[in-house]
Amino acid sequence: MLETINLSKSFKGKKVVQDINLYLDNGESVGLLGPNGAGKSTTISMISTLIKPTSGRITMNGVNAIAKPGEIRSVSGVVPQELALYQELSAYENLKFFGSIYKLRGKELDKAIQQALEFVGLENRKKDLVKTYSGGMKRRLNIAAALLHRPKILILDEPTVGIDPQSRNHILEAVRALNQQDGTTILYTSHYMEEVEQLCDRLYIMDHGKIIAAGTKDELLSILSTEDKIKVEVNKLDEAFVEQVKTMEGVRKLEVSELQLKIIAAKGSSLISKLVHLTEQHQIQLLNFHTETPSLEDVFLHLTGRTLRD
Amino acid sequence: MRSFIKKDLLIFLRDWKELLTVLLLPIVLVIVLNFAFAGLFDSDDEVSMDLQLAVVNQDDETDAMEQLKERLVSDAAFEEQEANAIVEAAEEIQPVNLLSDYLESDDVKEWVTIHHLEEKEAAEKVKAGDLDGMLIIPQGYAADSLYASFADEPPTTSLIYKMEEETTDSSALQQFIQGFIEELNYQFALQEITGGAEIAAALPEGGLEDMGTAHEFTMTQYFTIALGALFALFVVATVAMKTGVEIRDQVFNRILLANIHPMRFLIGKMVSTIYLVVLQIVFVLLVSHFLLGVFPDRTIAFWGGIFALIVLLALVLSGLAAIYTAILLRMNNVDAANGVFMLATLLFGTLGGGFVPIYMLPKWLQQIGEWTPNGLFLAILTEWVQFEKLSSIVQPSLYMVGFFFLFTIIGVALFPKRGKAQ
Repeated sequence: MLETINLSKSFKGKKVVQDINLYLDNGESVGLLGPNGAGKSTTISMISTLIKPTSGRITMNGVNAIAKPGEIRSVSGVVPQELALYQELSAYENLKFFGSIYKLRGKELDKAIQQALEFVGLENRKKDLVKTYSGGMKRRLNIAAALLHRPKILILDEPTVGIDPQSRNHILEAVRALNQQDGTTILYTSHYMEEVEQLCDRLYIMDHGKIIAAGTKDELLSILSTEDKIKVEVNKLDEAFVEQVKTMEGVRKLEVSELQLKIIAAKGSSLISKLVHLTEQHQIQLLNFHTETPSLEDVFLHLTGRTLRD
Repeated sequence: MRSFIKKDLLIFLRDWKELLTVLLLPIVLVIVLNFAFAGLFDSDDEVSMDLQLAVVNQDDETDAMEQLKERLVSDAAFEEQEANAIVEAAEEIQPVNLLSDYLESDDVKEWVTIHHLEEKEAAEKVKAGDLDGMLIIPQGYAADSLYASFADEPPTTSLIYKMEEETTDSSALQQFIQGFIEELNYQFALQEITGGAEIAAALPEGGLEDMGTAHEFTMTQYFTIALGALFALFVVATVAMKTGVEIRDQVFNRILLANIHPMRFLIGKMVSTIYLVVLQIVFVLLVSHFLLGVFPDRTIAFWGGIFALIVLLALVLSGLAAIYTAILLRMNNVDAANGVFMLATLLFGTLGGGFVPIYMLPKWLQQIGEWTPNGLFLAILTEWVQFEKLSSIVQPSLYMVGFFFLFTIIGVALFPKRGKAQ
């Protein structure tokens, strides 16, 4: 349905997005995951035809969408990261304006507004000015404005940034319903791992302007199938102990925070008995000790050497 | 298009701070300045003058008729009988007395105080600045002017007006005297056409009418129009600033993604500017009128003309809004763009007489001022308020239309083609 081929963007000679290859099939829900500054929003802006790529191609059903942006614009709805709303207008007036620029008129427009308001749970506050809304309500209205013309593809750029858990859940449920009940194709960017895990069939992981991994959740987790993740809590820590853990055979990555060690080690490296032995040597008491199933967060850590929120 | 206009109007009208600024502030300023300047000129409305004129009469009219008869017979070869008839008619005229009566008339006395002095004393007082000017009636003036008139020859003697330096007051005096001379010539001309004797010489009328003013143009009218136009410029700057908010909040991007022609956005801005400017100036003029009686006893046609000129200004300013909008879309820094618009507004406002009465500015600045939309609007309305003649405002109104097209073309040319991806 939608595909990008070697999509790149430079600003003032600096490449911010480099050789992005991704595709969206009809009815899919695809996540674009990455930390702040990874290039997700630039990628989204190119896909939604707001900015032109420096190089590369975007096709929509085989048609060059860079030359014919209308191919994507006519079937997509974009929920930008910023609240693209008129604060001095009511929710109803905002939706009426945005609906009318999508050439909706009369009863059709009224019906679309009513449905969008119900969908995001704002029908009771439709006459209130947007500037009186909470952050979560504004985010919901931001989504409603992109749904009026019933787009086939919904592109959401970090739609849950800075809102309360209740509104966040509401948005996630709404997006899931759009995908599963209405068959809307979703492209969802976030730096919240759990949102993407919850919503998306497939994932692209971005960092420093590049896609560093892609696949289904299971496919991505299999990257870590040769590793164990061990979490250790101790009563005290000293540098010599940490240094020795780091150089132990089989340890691939070590993260230290206060009195906790997170270790990623090669499967079957018999690390547990070695760790017990080492703590005794340093007269450190082992308070807690468990192995964890790797998560996408761990995949990201494995691929980039840092966490998503860094 | 209607949805764009409605959206812009709603956003503007809900900004109560902006509304207070463009609707109430000019009215408050009109009231304050009206009283302030009324005090300055010691009058409620009009700018009053107290001109001091010395009259030096060196002519002796007792011999004038004899001299006239002699010259008619000897120089112009009139028959004795004809010459007697002319002298008889001329006795009714007596130019020096006419001038004296003219200067002493009630209308002129409101403006001019006459001092009958000898030439030397008058010259000293004019030089010292005690008097605004001196008028010398030279010896033989009456006989010569009558002879010139009846013999249809150019006069050899004329009134001499002297002033130390040209000021508004001394120039006004000169115009008074010129007005008299023209009226006198007119009377002579009439006398010739009708054969002479039946015509009684009438005194020329004094006052502002002789200077060509059909209606008074008061300070209150000046400030109402000037401030109305000045705050219309603020309306334009505000419309542009709202565009800045649309860009910053990415609403503009959302509009672009709706796959509509971006020019609709620009045209929407222009049309909403027209509505807002018309509403704003009509409000300021009407409220000022009802509070201060700015335009008393004027006809429906006069008000129609005022409305048409306001619409014309609104058109010009819609072009300016197009330029501002296009610049905003091109500049990355919205705040810097807003600063530029505010500077432009202040510049237009100053040059166009929005902050200080334009006639207080040097002549060259006044001329530049008429090349600003608000300055030209003020000049046209000044003309309309005084003369209410369509012919006198046609040409400057065409300049306004020219401004509209020029601004619109520049705005459209600058408008980035953001419908396509950048």
